[in-house]
Amino acid sequence: MEAIISLLTNPYYIQVVTMMGIFLIAALGLHLITGVTGQFSFGHAAFLSIGAYCSALMSIHLHTPFILNMLAGGLMAALWGVILGFPSLRLTGDYLGITTLGFGEIVRVVFINMKITGGAGGLAGIPRETNILLVYIVVALSIWGIYRIQNSRFGRALVAIREDEIAAESMGINPLLYKIKGFALGTFFAGVSGALFAHLMQYLNPADFGFARSFEILNYVVLGGLGSIPGAILGTAVLSLAPEFLRFVKEYRMMIYGALMVLMMIFRPYGLLGGVDFVQLYKRLKSRRKAGPTLPGNMP
Amino acid sequence: MKKSRYLLLLVAMLALALLVAGCGGAKETPKAAGGDTIKIGFLGGLTGGHAHYGIETLKGMQMAVDDINSAGGVNGKKLEIVEGDHGSNSSEAANVTQKLITQKVSAIVGDPTTGITKSAAQICQPAKMVLLSAGAVGPGVVEIGDYIYRDTLLDAVAAPAVTKYLAEELKWEKVALVTTTGLSYSEGLTGIFKPALAKYGMEIVAEQSIMEKDTNFSAQVTSLRQKQFDGVIFTGYYTEGALFMKEMRKQGLNQVMAGGDGLLGKELYELGENAVQGSMVYAGFAVDSQTAAGKTKEFIEKYKAGNNNALPDMFPAQGYDAVMLLADAMKVANSNDPTVYKDKLAQTKDWKGVTGTITFDEKREPIKSPVYLQEVKGQEFVVKSVISIDK
Repeated sequence: MEAIISLLTNPYYIQVVTMMGIFLIAALGLHLITGVTGQFSFGHAAFLSIGAYCSALMSIHLHTPFILNMLAGGLMAALWGVILGFPSLRLTGDYLGITTLGFGEIVRVVFINMKITGGAGGLAGIPRETNILLVYIVVALSIWGIYRIQNSRFGRALVAIREDEIAAESMGINPLLYKIKGFALGTFFAGVSGALFAHLMQYLNPADFGFARSFEILNYVVLGGLGSIPGAILGTAVLSLAPEFLRFVKEYRMMIYGALMVLMMIFRPYGLLGGVDFVQLYKRLKSRRKAGPTLPGNMP
Repeated sequence: MKKSRYLLLLVAMLALALLVAGCGGAKETPKAAGGDTIKIGFLGGLTGGHAHYGIETLKGMQMAVDDINSAGGVNGKKLEIVEGDHGSNSSEAANVTQKLITQKVSAIVGDPTTGITKSAAQICQPAKMVLLSAGAVGPGVVEIGDYIYRDTLLDAVAAPAVTKYLAEELKWEKVALVTTTGLSYSEGLTGIFKPALAKYGMEIVAEQSIMEKDTNFSAQVTSLRQKQFDGVIFTGYYTEGALFMKEMRKQGLNQVMAGGDGLLGKELYELGENAVQGSMVYAGFAVDSQTAAGKTKEFIEKYKAGNNNALPDMFPAQGYDAVMLLADAMKVANSNDPTVYKDKLAQTKDWKGVTGTITFDEKREPIKSPVYLQEVKGQEFVVKSVISIDK
């Protein structure tokens, strides 16, 4: 019993699990964009950084309450999501990916050159507001919110766009409008995640939000299973905790991490939980019909 | 189906092999013997973008620990390094810092970069853990709190000393000042040079700004041609420095440049070739076989012996000094409790290490002496002058 308590109060584990929760929120946002709507975004870290800097600057200069700053960070990220979305969501597939990649780099360079963000020297002096409880309350709200969005008329429209844009359009869905809405929602979660990140680290540097971070988050979503909320959660948990648990193997750590990703893609090409719908699985079990999880053939 | 099963078996065996190899590696490190050892945490990247800094710093730290342990340890206890590799990633660095603190280290040496040091300091300060950075030179590090230290040569200390040397020894009177705009290192250094130049009676006859990754400096150099000056103060990095000097030679200007350790890199003479001959760069540590004596000479010899005759750069030297500084503070305080010995660390005065003499001023910023002014000769940096800093 004592061992469990000391385990739960170990600041190292708390730190790691808090960090995981923060990235989980960002991953859920990307899940909405890439998993549900099927739009590839390689610039997710840029929205994290917008939310992070916006909320941090509000905390430092305006001294407004943290919850407000966090929401403002999310809204600011969403605003930029809409601004970026209008021209770029007319593009599809690879082209959209490259546009978002470019946007991510632009944001990073802008933050490096701005005076108010502290430039390349970074922004210090952010108060510590993030704690594990707050992070997991936001995580719970995010999961609930995304689940509701995904299973609403709006969410089904997004899925329709993912499956076949032309067919969706012929059903009376305006793909651009829906894609922009989906994108804005996804970037909102990224902004909130960035705000929590900023108030946990208490120091921001544009170098933390390069495209390596964007790919990391994309990995969480893709390896967890595109289009599945439990997949995004599992992917984030496995991939953000793996580097910490693999610490004992020292230099081999990142090699095993890489091998893990390759293996996941070989044995689970649709991700760990790709195509597994827990609600349907539960219903099937209930009706005692014997059926294993089936992989959809039309996943992106 | 069968094929995939074989594949699975192969992969499982591979994974097992890696695991065993990994465990083998872990066994090599000495086992922690409870309270009999003093653990020193190392925070830095052994993998990733800054791996060179981290690996070299750790080498220096290990040499210091070996030296201390063979001389009987600190307060009767042996030292031991706990490695914390963050893969040059700042969010992971926060995790690692927290982990080192929970592993009950007595001090953390790291990180070699300013950015990660700042985020680690945010964790160390409230946890009452001494963080001694062996590499951070940027502003706003020790201001985070009284548990945060560094043992590097600061530009605020070195640039005025070098300016004095240029004015008094080389009789420079008029200079051209070139800044890389948008680069915080360069803008900061220019801000330090300007008052120093004024103090030692040098006149800035021309100020030019360039951008990082620019390759064509003909416009800036053309405007310099109309001015009379003795030399160029260049506050940017080596790539631009080399190309700028090449353009100057092309336009028939023969002045040399002087600048900070941003110019310190073999790329300077590889790229600049004849154009950078005689150009000067200062740094906190350099291998100078003529003047090296005592501790420094011993350190260089030991490093060479352990590294196939390679010469140490400033990172292992600063890592070595960091551990030695901590050990000495712990000895004076007769304690390895950070809350106790940190006051003794702050009082460090005229402490002699392999990189020179270190004094912590009232703001706990290090004042290091000497500054090594090096000059490009052929295809290497040669120590031109060892300038001691007067406090």
